[in-house]
Amino acid sequence: MVENTDLSEILKNYPDKWVALSGDSSKVVGVADKPADAVQQAHAKNEPDPILTRVPKNYGTYIL
Amino acid sequence: MSVRFKLDYRKFPAQPTEPFPRRTSVSRPVIPIALINNQRRVRYLALIDSGADYCIFHAEIGEQIGLQIESGKRLSFFGSSGQEQYAYFHEINIEVGGHETACFAGFSRELQSLPYGILGQEGFFDNFKITFDYLKDKIELQSIAD
Repeated sequence: MVENTDLSEILKNYPDKWVALSGDSSKVVGVADKPADAVQQAHAKNEPDPILTRVPKNYGTYIL
Repeated sequence: MSVRFKLDYRKFPAQPTEPFPRRTSVSRPVIPIALINNQRRVRYLALIDSGADYCIFHAEIGEQIGLQIESGKRLSFFGSSGQEQYAYFHEINIEVGGHETACFAGFSRELQSLPYGILGQEGFFDNFKITFDYLKDKIELQSIAD
């Protein structure tokens, strides 16, 4: 499976949401305020093993 | 047995700023992992962060694998802002590149502004030898055999 690692376009329209990505990260398969709801949407789209991430209001600059 | 594999950096949206006016994306050492508790498993993106002492994940993700977050051992920690935050630690397993290992990880309700979980020294760097190659967008991981 070829993984999409450039998420700069597909994530930019979901600020302050939990997003479920398809197993290859090529598309968004769930968007919700809670990860459980994003996973449920993914399962409804026959995506059994989605990858969760939180989209912040702004990815900003991190100095951790 | 030690396992070696390579993963790619991931690109995320970024807004141009005064010092970096052309920047529209940013590459970070963020990798897909799975958190496992008994028979429950969830996949999730996490940042490899050598500046973090421990692995800290969003509390909502812990709830996805059935953890009662506040029943864990509480730790106060400080991010770069200097503000005190709290995480509750639980024994889970993490899976990276098909390799599963035990991890005593913290879960916090105060990570809302962070997009990813944090893979820190204890629980991750003590399980993997890690080589970063930013110019090639590659991260090489080698599991440290038990």
